[in-house]
Amino acid sequence: MIESVLGNLDTVLLWLFALSALVGGALMLVLRHPMQVAMALISTMVFLGGIYGLLGVHFIAAFQVLIYVGAVMVFMVYVIMLLDVRDPSLRGRYSRMLVPGIAAALALLAVLAFAVLHGGLAPAHASASYTLQQFSVAFLTEYWLYFELTSVLLVAAVVAALAVIKETGTDHEQR
Amino acid sequence: MNNAEMLLFVSMAMFSIGLLGVIVRRNVLVMLMCMELMLNAVNLSLVTMSQQTGTTIGAVLVFLIFVVAAAEIAIAIPIVLLLVRRKRTLDLDAYTDLKG
Amino acid sequence: MQLLTLIVLAPLAGFAVNGLLGTRFGGERVGKRFVSVVGCALPAAAFLLAVKCFADLVAGAGAPLAEVAYTWTIIAGNPFEIALYFDRLSAVMVLIVTGVGTLIHIYSIGYMKDDASYARFFAYLNLFLFFMLLLVLGKSLLVLFVGWEGVGLASYLLIGFWFEDPVNARAGKKAFIVNRIGDAGFLLGMFVLFQGLGTLDMVTINAAFANGPNPAVSASLAGLLLFIGATGKSAQIPLHIWLPDAMAGPTPVSALIHAATMVTAGVYLVARMSGLYLQAPEASAVITVIGMATAFFAATVAVAQTDIKKTLAYSTVSQLGFMFVALGVGAYGVAVFHVFTHAFFKACLFLGAGSVIHALSGEQDIRKMGGLARRIPVTFATFAIATAAIAGIPPLAGFFSKDEILWFAFASGRGGSPLLWAVGAATAFMTAFYMFRLLWLVFLGSSRMEPEAEHHVHESPKSMTGVLVVLAVLSAFGGFISVPHFLEPMLPLPAVVPELEHYERTLLVVSVVIALAGLAGAAWVFGRGTARAERVRARFAGLHRLLAGKYFIDELYDALIARPLWWISERVFLGIGDRMLLDGSLNGLARLAQRGAGALSRVQSGNLQRYVFFVAIGTIACLAWGFRHG
Repeated sequence: MIESVLGNLDTVLLWLFALSALVGGALMLVLRHPMQVAMALISTMVFLGGIYGLLGVHFIAAFQVLIYVGAVMVFMVYVIMLLDVRDPSLRGRYSRMLVPGIAAALALLAVLAFAVLHGGLAPAHASASYTLQQFSVAFLTEYWLYFELTSVLLVAAVVAALAVIKETGTDHEQR
Repeated sequence: MNNAEMLLFVSMAMFSIGLLGVIVRRNVLVMLMCMELMLNAVNLSLVTMSQQTGTTIGAVLVFLIFVVAAAEIAIAIPIVLLLVRRKRTLDLDAYTDLKG
Repeated sequence: MQLLTLIVLAPLAGFAVNGLLGTRFGGERVGKRFVSVVGCALPAAAFLLAVKCFADLVAGAGAPLAEVAYTWTIIAGNPFEIALYFDRLSAVMVLIVTGVGTLIHIYSIGYMKDDASYARFFAYLNLFLFFMLLLVLGKSLLVLFVGWEGVGLASYLLIGFWFEDPVNARAGKKAFIVNRIGDAGFLLGMFVLFQGLGTLDMVTINAAFANGPNPAVSASLAGLLLFIGATGKSAQIPLHIWLPDAMAGPTPVSALIHAATMVTAGVYLVARMSGLYLQAPEASAVITVIGMATAFFAATVAVAQTDIKKTLAYSTVSQLGFMFVALGVGAYGVAVFHVFTHAFFKACLFLGAGSVIHALSGEQDIRKMGGLARRIPVTFATFAIATAAIAGIPPLAGFFSKDEILWFAFASGRGGSPLLWAVGAATAFMTAFYMFRLLWLVFLGSSRMEPEAEHHVHESPKSMTGVLVVLAVLSAFGGFISVPHFLEPMLPLPAVVPELEHYERTLLVVSVVIALAGLAGAAWVFGRGTARAERVRARFAGLHRLLAGKYFIDELYDALIARPLWWISERVFLGIGDRMLLDGSLNGLARLAQRGAGALSRVQSGNLQRYVFFVAIGTIACLAWGFRHG
């Protein structure tokens, strides 16, 4: 048994990581404190990073951990720690749309599963992965427009953040 | 079920869970985090399909989603902070200024 | 030379000129003198043209003149034309209308001198003349009807001339509406005739009945329906109620329209359709009965009236009743003769009353008059002559015409009877009585005038008294113009019952006796002040109240007809129909829209998660639709 497990370590780990990611996601729905929810999300993201690594796209795995966990979730955790703990939302976790929401989620899952099961997947490519070099070349030549657009988007984000700060600043002064 | 299919199912399930979380949870920060979960699910499916087809477009899109997610969080959190300052609560049921 | 068209159009031109230039509507571009000249010259011109046509008629031994002014349309082979027709009957009517009309126009110059709407008055009077001439000169019932309606309109405009006072406006409305009720009968009569004979040309219709009853149409039915129209226009029972109220208009209007010309339109209609009525014994009987009843009852009411114009109004109604009696028993020419003489003395009486009112600065109550004979002698003399004429004292005009009517009421082979004559004689007695009562109370005896009014009593200007003198002369000598004889070729007198023929001389004497008895009676009761009159009144208090209240017919109509109609209008049509159904449905629709909008707006709850839910639902639906083919 160990041989079969060790032989198919990739697949086993893949399935394990996938399951763990799913469990982390599910935990996000049930945990009460936002900090706990953040921890669950971080775990999911890390497991996803693991999956990316197992799939061979290491750079994406790296960026996943770097950007998502390292920037986004850290920001999130800061804000959670900043804001008040004694909040009514901590007593009642769920909004009024619980039952309709569950129904909607199940319906969505059903539709998508139906699509995948009947749509059929494209057959796996023989030379499955591509190297980082190939990816970078493609990114900067074939998809250069999107690359530039991302920089525009980031500028917009910076401007927006400055605008929010300015408002926050004015608010402070008025007080 | 091969790996690809399984990963796709996982991606779909995570997306549905994320959607459900956006709809049912009352804390605004938790709602934001569930939106991040949805984005991650999409990333997973993109990577899977990119690996299946051998093209790079999936990976490129993943990168774009990284950028977008980061920018979005950079703006969303300050907005939430301003909202909380005005309403003094993180409860989404209190944010009903768009009523009518 | 289109003389007849010119006769008709002359007053219309006067209406247009005065109406467009002299009134406030037209900007008051011309002064009163211009309006007077235009307003009187054009009817005078019409009169001269009428005399010329009359001369032509006599020269042609009575051959009628016909002109077609305009062809309206031809429907299924039937031409509808504006055709004018001048035969013996039309000649008499046109001469009366234009002659007396012109005189009254001249009178109005003096009477309406101080009125602000001077030009409007003359414009309306000319308009009336136009329509009246159209009425009497029309060859088909359709043209007659146009004139019929037109004079009704002119009457409404003139009764309500001083419309700022709502009483006057109401009187105008009453006249118009009551006339309309009669006109419904007229229209039905026209429909019956057209359906049966295919034409509305009166000459053709009369010819269709020349040889006995026509199987195509019931003569009595058509005759009765046309007579209903005549009751409305000529103020017979039951549609007489508008005429006393019409006294709210200026006195020249009362003289012209409600004494001399318009109210005789009904008489003219029946006389014109004599061919039809000769074959309609049932309709003729109805005409006789209603005419006699009207004459009698109007005379009883006139005895107890205290307003000078109202007395004369009831007297008009009564005399019109006499004319219809004559028509009913087949003496069409005699009825027209009475129209002829009545125009003279009634116009003279009304204009004289106008002169009295003018002298007393507006007083119309005869209880506040008396002793005016010495102060306004010309008015008194003309009024006295006209009173004697209407009472039937020989040899004045009224005696001839009324005596003929009573004779034919007694002895006509077409419905005359001694009973009819008896009622007529009683009415004649009452006529003499109340007219001389009026004369005594207004002009003779001691003065009961208000001191203010008495101070200002003055004779009327020459324009008014001149007309009075002319009319008085005509009332005196007009009876010698033998109109029935002139009309005989067209309107033959009915055959007299042979057994009664020798009573003619006797009845003549009786008529004179009745007239003198009326004079004596009035002199006895009212001669020596009002003391005796008061005693008589006290003895018959209940009867007096009934008569003074004109048998309370207006109140009866109000209770039986007006009030139920008003109730239906208010409760059923307004309350249920308009408010509940129409407004309710419209308001209901609006409320439905509002509630719908309210319900739909609940989607915008402001709850962010609800919005996300809807997005999810939409996405699922789109995906399902996209994947529906597996």
